[in-house]
Amino acid sequence: MNNVEETLWNYIDGNCSPDEQAAISKLIASDESYRLKYNELLALSQEFAAIELDEPSMAFTYNVIEAIRKEEALVPLKSTINKRIILGIAIFFAVTLTLFVGYALFSMDWSTPQLPNFIGNLSVDIQAPAISSDVKKMAFEGFIFFDVILALFLFDKSLRRKNLQKQGL
Amino acid sequence: MQSKLSDIELIEQVLAGNQALYADLVKRHQRFVFTLAMRFAKNREDAEEIAQDCFVKAYRSLSSFQQQSKFSTWLYSIVYTTAMTFLRKRRIDTDSIDDEDTFMQVEDKPSAYDLYNAENKSRSFYLNQAIEQLLPDDAAIITMFYKGEQSLEEIGRALGMEANTVKVKLFRARQRLKEKLERNLKHEAKELI
Repeated sequence: MNNVEETLWNYIDGNCSPDEQAAISKLIASDESYRLKYNELLALSQEFAAIELDEPSMAFTYNVIEAIRKEEALVPLKSTINKRIILGIAIFFAVTLTLFVGYALFSMDWSTPQLPNFIGNLSVDIQAPAISSDVKKMAFEGFIFFDVILALFLFDKSLRRKNLQKQGL
Repeated sequence: MQSKLSDIELIEQVLAGNQALYADLVKRHQRFVFTLAMRFAKNREDAEEIAQDCFVKAYRSLSSFQQQSKFSTWLYSIVYTTAMTFLRKRRIDTDSIDDEDTFMQVEDKPSAYDLYNAENKSRSFYLNQAIEQLLPDDAAIITMFYKGEQSLEEIGRALGMEANTVKVKLFRARQRLKEKLERNLKHEAKELI
């Protein structure tokens, strides 16, 4: 019986080849049991096709749009920061470091003997570069600024991860 | 009033920056997505949560929609994976999902929603009641085939199965649905069929 039903369902669904379709049509017309089964399954198929869809709540669309809006508001800082700002910070650090190294080199006393005498005194008198307190302060502030940016970046990353975990992604 | 644009046109507009049009896509597909979610969740609150989650996920991934299939097929694949994740989260393990007895409880204890509608029992009510008692996969395949305007191949794509597997599953699902209808309605089923 299962084979008969399977054949008839294929026929009703339109999943048969033209030859099969013609053969089944013939069977339905000539065989009473086939015809009864076909009528039963056809009625059932029509019932299935008439199933009513469920209706979500009235506020459904609004809720979806609100959820999207909320999610967009939570977009991590990383993706909203303008890349130019990042580039600006990088340039600032590069220039600061160059100035710092340049100033240090410029302040160095180059008048000391160039090469030590291998036989004589090997001691080299290199003076520590004189770094003004302003440069020290600037370097310290730069270091703190960099740390703060790094801390904010890591904090944002951990919040993002937690948020994704919450959403089950 | 819903837009007369096709799904693809709406998606292109949304991706071009007209995000408000996404509401039209939601309105167009919400009934089916919600119904499909109901097949898995078996209650309105959870189904609404799943359906909402699906639309949010679809919006998030809209730019990755390749347009190689219908938008509805792509959307239903999201519904399927979201619903399965939801069921897993509710700690219904895979064995119990496959266990028909889990869903037989619905038969014994009609919900308040069922009782409310009992007064207006119609042909579709009896059918929906029988569908509720099916396994989620069976109910989803029947719903997608008859109401989702999806071919066997498209259903297979949405559920990650071969078209032939869907065909066999559809046949079995219809058999089970028929049996449940007959059992539920007894004499009434004969009239309905």
